[in-house]
Amino acid sequence: MYRYDEFDERFVRERVAQFRGQVERRLDGSLSEDEFKPLRLKNGLYLQLHAYMLRIAVPYGTLNSRQLRMLAHIAETYDKGYGHFTTRQNLQFNWPKLKDVPDILGLLADVEMHCIQTSGNCIRNVTSDQFAGVAKDEVEDPRPTAELIRQWSSLHPEFVWLPRKFKIAVTGAEHDRAAIKVHDIGLKLKRNDQGEVGYEVIVGGGLGRTPMIGKVVREFLPKDELLAYLEAVMRVYNSEGRRDNKFKARVKILVHETGEEEFRARVEEEYAKLDGPTINAPEEEVERIAAYFAAPTYEDLPETSQVLEQARAIDPELDRFVAQNSFEHKQPGYIALTIALKEIGAVPGDMSADQMRAFADIAEKYSFDEFRVTHSQNLVLPHVRKDDLPAVHAALKAAGLASANAGLITDIIACPGLDYCALATAKSIPIAQAIAKTFADQERQKAIGELPIKISGCINACGHHHVGAIGILGLEKGGRENYQITVGGDATEHASLGERLGPGIDAEDVPAAIEAIVETYLAEKTGEESFIETVRRTGAEPFKAGFAAFIESRTAQHEAAE
Amino acid sequence: MAKDHRAGSKVRGDKLPAILMASHLLEGDTVFLGDSGWTMDPTAAKIAHDAETAAVMEAEGKAAAAANTVIDPYLVPVDLTDHGLPVARHFRDAMRQKGPSIHPDMGKQAEFTPLD
Repeated sequence: MYRYDEFDERFVRERVAQFRGQVERRLDGSLSEDEFKPLRLKNGLYLQLHAYMLRIAVPYGTLNSRQLRMLAHIAETYDKGYGHFTTRQNLQFNWPKLKDVPDILGLLADVEMHCIQTSGNCIRNVTSDQFAGVAKDEVEDPRPTAELIRQWSSLHPEFVWLPRKFKIAVTGAEHDRAAIKVHDIGLKLKRNDQGEVGYEVIVGGGLGRTPMIGKVVREFLPKDELLAYLEAVMRVYNSEGRRDNKFKARVKILVHETGEEEFRARVEEEYAKLDGPTINAPEEEVERIAAYFAAPTYEDLPETSQVLEQARAIDPELDRFVAQNSFEHKQPGYIALTIALKEIGAVPGDMSADQMRAFADIAEKYSFDEFRVTHSQNLVLPHVRKDDLPAVHAALKAAGLASANAGLITDIIACPGLDYCALATAKSIPIAQAIAKTFADQERQKAIGELPIKISGCINACGHHHVGAIGILGLEKGGRENYQITVGGDATEHASLGERLGPGIDAEDVPAAIEAIVETYLAEKTGEESFIETVRRTGAEPFKAGFAAFIESRTAQHEAAE
Repeated sequence: MAKDHRAGSKVRGDKLPAILMASHLLEGDTVFLGDSGWTMDPTAAKIAHDAETAAVMEAEGKAAAAANTVIDPYLVPVDLTDHGLPVARHFRDAMRQKGPSIHPDMGKQAEFTPLD
């Protein structure tokens, strides 16, 4: 894991002191709310429906046990005993008091954490593949790249007041788990024909009210040219991105309005003008960063673990958990394990302080003191010995963290929605809970297979509904909450946006509508096709027909009841 | 800077009776204008039955915002229960009166007598 050097440490401490001064000036009235708001947002502090909300950066989703124990301490001391993992691999506290926030930031600095650039029109926390350094299909670990971008973008003087927020994701694997095609910039580590490592650079993807799939602006960028090229993209965006209308200010709109080829030409023109060597990181700095992400000292183990096989044979619960939540590790005898924060009926992404402490112990003991946050609001233990799996499962189970539903229909992404968020137009979490309860039966979930459902409580799409195999968008219609349903969205290398099935429906009808959609899938699927594969083959038509039939029968029921 | 708030009530049509709702600067909690200053208790909110009272309350809210006591004060149209308690007409305002629907153990609903 990356460790702060003296510059990082000083920078974060200075920022805490600055914010402490800003809060004092706000409280004594020297700063008005209009003056203070941009400052608090730059430090991740929002004001929501019931309270302030503090968003803590988790760079590329990597944490250790010491950090998680501190988060547990903060949750108990300054909040209501829990935290919420987000779709940007960050953590939010929902109830901090303004007067306590400087102290919270100080405690975070003690464990090399901060809230900088988790809000505002700057380059936000860089996200990555949760199986970085673990996946077999990886060209190179994406985390050194993500860390390099973090350092380059932190308070970069040219890019602290962009037209709008800016999100970068990096993957090093063939299979995209970081949703790089729906980010402002997506980077994919790849090899060219000569075997050299570089990046495919994708620009202009995004969700929100105008969802777009990103465009490849460079097929292959030599690895050592990364920062200068990113700077060229940012300069074109910073000077030409729209500032007159916040709904048209993201780089996706600029790429769309300029045209892909013209945008590419402008970036290359800007790039040619830049003095690359003064911008790109020196080789020794890149190596210094990469050294922090060296693989841990694995034991030499056989691929198959007799201990695990025997335990699975007598414990069906363990067997199901391992079958569903484990991910193949490149090191023989190890696996990566997904911990789904998706117990049936729980709030997606929530974790109590007690669970944090228990999980910190598990990560420390069984996974080289490291774990990851996924953009699906789950956690990952990246390096678990297969021999240890029965013990890990028992410890997770004791902490209420052994939900065996990773990737299944009950592993739902949901934004906080109207339960907390000041921007939301409808509730999101209760919809996720109702769907999870409807499909609680494990055999039924298994029969349906992989099916990512993603729910947003407003058009800003924090719940990524556009790229859910089933997407749900909550809006307000005629003074009521109303939910639109899409199918066919995909956040992977096959990125696609979901297609709407029909008119919006009431909250109480959503679980039955999802059942109708699942019935259509089960009727249409051939062989071992997953839900998204079936939609890709059939198109949305059969699902629209099934949905229309559902609406018709529901209307008839309502009329009969009246 | 993007707004992080959808300020104001979304109720269309008749705006009365109404209460005045805001966020407390220091605590962040939702607060209501009561008979004597700001209160966290939704049952203690002062109710405006006529436009003049509403205007006076709104002015009081603006003054409190200028004095750095509260943030984003706005009038919230309400219906009155049989006990005369104000229940916000819009579900978003009603959520602020109660607390998160997913956590009955948190927010106003956990600390004060329910409105209905």
